Amino acid sequence: MASIPDLDLLRGTLDLLVLKTLSWGPMHGLAVLHQIEDVTGQRLQIEEGALYPALHRMEQRGWLDAEWGYTERNRKAKFYCLTAVGRRRLTAELLKWSRYTEAVGLLLAHEGAR
Amino acid sequence: MKRDSGRRRVFRIPFSRRGLDRDVDAELRFHLEGRIEELMAMGMSRDEASVEARQRFGDLDSHRRELRAIDEEMQKMRQRLEFTDTVGRELKYAVRTLGRSRTFAAMAFVTLALGLGAAMAIFTILDAVVLRPLPYAHGDRLVALSSPVPGIKAAPVWGLARHEMYYFKRESHTLEDLGIYRTELATLTGDGGATQPERAPAAYVSASLFGVLGIVPERGRLLNPDDNLRATDTLDAALMSHGLWERRYAGDTTIVGKRIDLDGYPVTVVGVLPPSAQLPDYKVDLWLPLDMNPASPARSNHIFSVIGRMRRGVDIANAQRELTALTARFPTAFPNVYTPKMMEGTGFTTLVKSLRDDVVGSLVTKSIWILFAAVIVVLLIAAANVANLFLVRVETRRLEAAVRSAIGASRGALAVHSLAESLVLTGMAALGAIGVAWAGLHFLVALAPSDLPRLDEVHLGWTGFAFTIVCALVAGITLGLLPSLRGQVDLAMLREGGRGSTGAPRRLATRNILVTSQMALALILLTAAGLLVRSLRNLRGVHPGFDPTNVMTMSLSLPNGRYRSPQIANAFFEQLAARVRALPGVLSVGFGGALPLESSELCTGAVVDVPGPSGERSDCVQMMQVTPGYFETLRIPLRGHAPDWPENDRGGASAVVSEAFANRFWPNEDAINRGVKCCNGMPPFYRISGVTGPVRTHGLDRSPGQVVYFPMIPFARNPGIEGLPLFMRLVVRTAAGMSNSVLPAIRRAVNEIDPQVPISDIAPMEQLLAQSLARRSFTMMLLAAAAALALVLSAVGIYGVISYVVAQRRSEIGIRMALGARAEDVRGMVVRQSLVLAGIGVLIGLACALATTRVLGALLFGVSPNDPLVLICATLLLVILATVASYAPAVRASRVDPVEALRG
Repeated sequence: MASIPDLDLLRGTLDLLVLKTLSWGPMHGLAVLHQIEDVTGQRLQIEEGALYPALHRMEQRGWLDAEWGYTERNRKAKFYCLTAVGRRRLTAELLKWSRYTEAVGLLLAHEGAR
Repeated sequence: MKRDSGRRRVFRIPFSRRGLDRDVDAELRFHLEGRIEELMAMGMSRDEASVEARQRFGDLDSHRRELRAIDEEMQKMRQRLEFTDTVGRELKYAVRTLGRSRTFAAMAFVTLALGLGAAMAIFTILDAVVLRPLPYAHGDRLVALSSPVPGIKAAPVWGLARHEMYYFKRESHTLEDLGIYRTELATLTGDGGATQPERAPAAYVSASLFGVLGIVPERGRLLNPDDNLRATDTLDAALMSHGLWERRYAGDTTIVGKRIDLDGYPVTVVGVLPPSAQLPDYKVDLWLPLDMNPASPARSNHIFSVIGRMRRGVDIANAQRELTALTARFPTAFPNVYTPKMMEGTGFTTLVKSLRDDVVGSLVTKSIWILFAAVIVVLLIAAANVANLFLVRVETRRLEAAVRSAIGASRGALAVHSLAESLVLTGMAALGAIGVAWAGLHFLVALAPSDLPRLDEVHLGWTGFAFTIVCALVAGITLGLLPSLRGQVDLAMLREGGRGSTGAPRRLATRNILVTSQMALALILLTAAGLLVRSLRNLRGVHPGFDPTNVMTMSLSLPNGRYRSPQIANAFFEQLAARVRALPGVLSVGFGGALPLESSELCTGAVVDVPGPSGERSDCVQMMQVTPGYFETLRIPLRGHAPDWPENDRGGASAVVSEAFANRFWPNEDAINRGVKCCNGMPPFYRISGVTGPVRTHGLDRSPGQVVYFPMIPFARNPGIEGLPLFMRLVVRTAAGMSNSVLPAIRRAVNEIDPQVPISDIAPMEQLLAQSLARRSFTMMLLAAAAALALVLSAVGIYGVISYVVAQRRSEIGIRMALGARAEDVRGMVVRQSLVLAGIGVLIGLACALATTRVLGALLFGVSPNDPLVLICATLLLVILATVASYAPAVRASRVDPVEALRG
């Protein structure tokens, strides 16, 4: 909701978030959104319209597999899950991310030469 | 249908565009609905929630379009993947199953590779020699002109005369331009003693020929019309081929403008042509201006080759119509050369032919097509054998097929398996065929008669590959579909534990048809090969009219710059004859303008001494100058006597005529002491002093020619004759085995008398005799090879079928033997079965052979296309073959153990 403070998403981070989220188990698009919002305490807000193209693209690349299934409320929904390729991708992205944040952290912690 | 999980999703993704759209819409709808419900749960009205949900989502339509685009792309990618995946899997499976039955694969591979390779090799020759256009720009617009004169049987086709070319050039609208030429050997004399004298093939050409053929110079310039004009007085410009320039002048970059010695005269080199520039039918080293002047009066000198270039859009029929009409006007245009009576009497006309057909010639074209047909027949026989192998395999794999079918493989899937297998096999065979064709072509080109036109254009190329690939594909698809054409997979087999025999009669019928067709095809090839063998034997049996053993021949040509009178030329030959005669091992020596068998078609009229004011004019007689010793050396039988050296020197006017000539004019009288005049009936008058036996002057397959042999000096003085006897063939008869060893001494003798006289064309007379048969031998050998291959393949085919029959009838044979049949009876029964198949094949083959061997036509000599001996021999050979091929299975059948066969 508009009142919730949101952070602008860094470019390329969406893929990582989706991959990580799906690593907990297969889920549909709306559930992915909910998971991200819940876990981050509503701090990260994903643009809804951008989520689906990202999901389809990752499916096209073979990172995700999609299957029609039923929700607990017995609605037909398209579920996504990680493929083996997707899992490897996630590991690689995580490594990259941690290196990046580490480097940024180092820089920000530095006081500079006196 | 069970499929592994990796591929499952393909079938979940809808295949149609509309399905994709539904998918995207459903997913988005689910999202929006979910959001709306959440928002409503938080207290919004449905309408508010719906507006809010849409707002959060952003531009719904553009997102939907984006999703569709991604999905469509994804689907295409997956279909491609799926396809290559399936193909790859099927091929891998096919390679594996073929690997499991190595004998089958190897036999099929070898058979097909041989068949395809042979077909590819001959197709490559066919393509290069017959099908491909000549290597000139727009070669399909080039035509050759000639003048058929059917009324003159001995020389039914003439060349054109110079004035005719000018006339056509002026009057024709269908021809853009015309060029004229005549080929000759020129003598490159020493260049001031710096180099060896050499005979070089030369063309005397009109300047327009270069434009017609699209030839441009590499250095310097081409010949121009001025050169043609000046050539009537003196020859002062020469153009040389790239080959001669590199070989003799070491690629001298300053050659243009230099002088070379041609026949003893200095001539200026005006240019060098690129390597590709050549005449269509003859490789020449020197291009010299033909003496011609448009203003010269017309002369009856129909000896030139003419090439025309048709205008764009004109076809040969158009050009022919126009030139026929123009030719009809000759008597008006050139009354001094053509009279209506002459035109009518000879049937004189002008023939337009595509240059390619003219160069390749109908006999060559025909021979190559026949060979091509033969290898296609071999390929068919090979394919029939492989088809048989496939059928055997289908038998052995019926159980496997039944099992696969029982667990759900559709007929289509089974067909795909078999197709993949046959395509892998034929694909490999096509690769093998390229190797076979490569080796075969080297062999063929080395073996081919040197006068086979366009031989240097024969290379393995894309057309050959394309041909092989198409053949392999056709074979692969046919063989692959063969099992599925044979009806339903037999599920009953499963119940019978794989021993069922349902459907066997039909399978056998297919195989019998295959084997009888093989026999029929093999018989056709055998007959054709047999006819050619007989033709060649007949030709070899023809007595040439001379004795070729221990005779060495070579050509000598005197540079006309220094041999300007018949006396000087005669002195040279007389001196050389004396020196060669004195060499150890030499029995006799002589010179003649031509050798038997190689005599050109060129002929002139002679006037003979018969009652009447001007004598009778002969239609076509070959005129030749000979020196004493010519007849003796060649051992041409001679009644009367030939002029000797003193008589020749004195200018005594006596001549020798051939038997054919004598019989033509004095059928029941003695020709000796009659008289003959040369050519246009000018004096002198020659007394006939001798008559030769029948000499095959034009080739073994032609009847002995009409020849008048003149002595050298008086003949050369004859005002009707152009030129001196400067080019002569030397014939030397030696003691046995000495022919080659006298060569160095002869060279030395020539060099000592005149170092500027080149020697060329050294060859034993026996070799020339063999060469005259080369083209026929070549065709015959290849056809015989094809027939042999066909025989072997047919034998393998009949062996396979009979083996199969024996295996099928094991229990029946067992019963027979249990009931007391003897081993011989069983063997006889099996062999009889094979003979029935062969018999049917032979009968069909005989009918086909009778219908088709006629196409051999001009290749045959002294044997009818339906020669009974050949037909009988071919039939016998096949029958023997069928007996031999069935013998091993017959023995196997006779060793069947009755108890075992009945129990098993």
